[in-house]
Amino acid sequence: MAERTPSQTVGPFFHEALRWAEGGRLAPDAPGPRAALAGRIRDGSGAPVADAMVEAWHAGARALGRVETGADGGFRFEFPLPPGPLAALDIAIFARGLLKAVRTRVYLAQESVVRTDPLLAPLQSSPRLKTLVATPRSSNEFEWDVRLQGEGETVFFAP
Amino acid sequence: MQADPPYFFADYGSTHLRAPREAPLAVPAALLDVPGPLVPPGLVGTGDNDLTTHGKSAPLGERMILAGRLLDADGRPVRRSLVEIWQTNAAGRYDHPGDTHDAPLDPNFRGIGRTLTDDEGRYRFVTIKPGAYPWRNHAYAWRPQHIHFSLLGNAPVQRLVTQMYFPGDPLLDLDPVFLSIPDPAARARLVATFEPRAGIEGLALGYRFDIVLAGARSTPLER
Repeated sequence: MAERTPSQTVGPFFHEALRWAEGGRLAPDAPGPRAALAGRIRDGSGAPVADAMVEAWHAGARALGRVETGADGGFRFEFPLPPGPLAALDIAIFARGLLKAVRTRVYLAQESVVRTDPLLAPLQSSPRLKTLVATPRSSNEFEWDVRLQGEGETVFFAP
Repeated sequence: MQADPPYFFADYGSTHLRAPREAPLAVPAALLDVPGPLVPPGLVGTGDNDLTTHGKSAPLGERMILAGRLLDADGRPVRRSLVEIWQTNAAGRYDHPGDTHDAPLDPNFRGIGRTLTDDEGRYRFVTIKPGAYPWRNHAYAWRPQHIHFSLLGNAPVQRLVTQMYFPGDPLLDLDPVFLSIPDPAARARLVATFEPRAGIEGLALGYRFDIVLAGARSTPLER
């Protein structure tokens, strides 16, 4: 086994260096219906996190999206709608003050169905599971806010 | 996973409102140990690994060769994988609108580089030695000279963002970002090795920085 290199914060000055060709558009040429996910990231005081980098991983399309948050902490991805009842995107957030990325998963599915995902078994009866479920705004528009710390803190994963 | 710093580190002020307080949900690493994203075509251009040729003439500073290998947890090369770097100029200033440090910009240095590893996991940049700069974390705080690295890896579990430091820098002993890594041996893995003969005689210093990612999925030999 080789000894792993530790993580450090991405800092506040990554923007030009980490420009991603297609930004928040994942697999733009993939066939089939598409969907959008938009939301805001807030810190422990409820203030927007305006200098974060957000990555969305779409396993089915083997596609990555990478965007920076705006002044309001907002981000947006647009992607092929993942098939199946447990449609989800894997999310990683990098920012000044995050010494390592936070990882989580956002489900584009009904909460009652998400509760059946074996991955989330330890949360089965927890009210915190709701933090992983996006709110549909239309048939293909979803909203999902992230709270890094404090009231309504998002469930983060440790792989 | 012990190599990484914790989310909350009292001496690094920006963690205070951003570090999650709840325990993370343990999920199998296998969830993200799957073939990762493909690098968008055209993202890495010829010459993107030479940061000294992006202006009209040479940038100020000590030219250096920065080379190393990208390896997985089994020590195997991570092949044809994206390496992105960014850094200050020789005066310690980022070419970024958010950097208000009162040090000069260098019109011949943007401080941004990209490359892909080769079949042995090797990468190589030509750049200049970055400068240290003050920040407001605590009294008399200066960040040690560093180069930011972003490694995509070949599986989502391998994704890593980190910083590389320089040997012998007295600021390392005072830097809360570096010191947030609990294990001194792990910290030391972020310090490049000075290798004069990895440089170019009469032209550039040489530094080596090898990087080890999580996971053990090396790239299959597909073309």
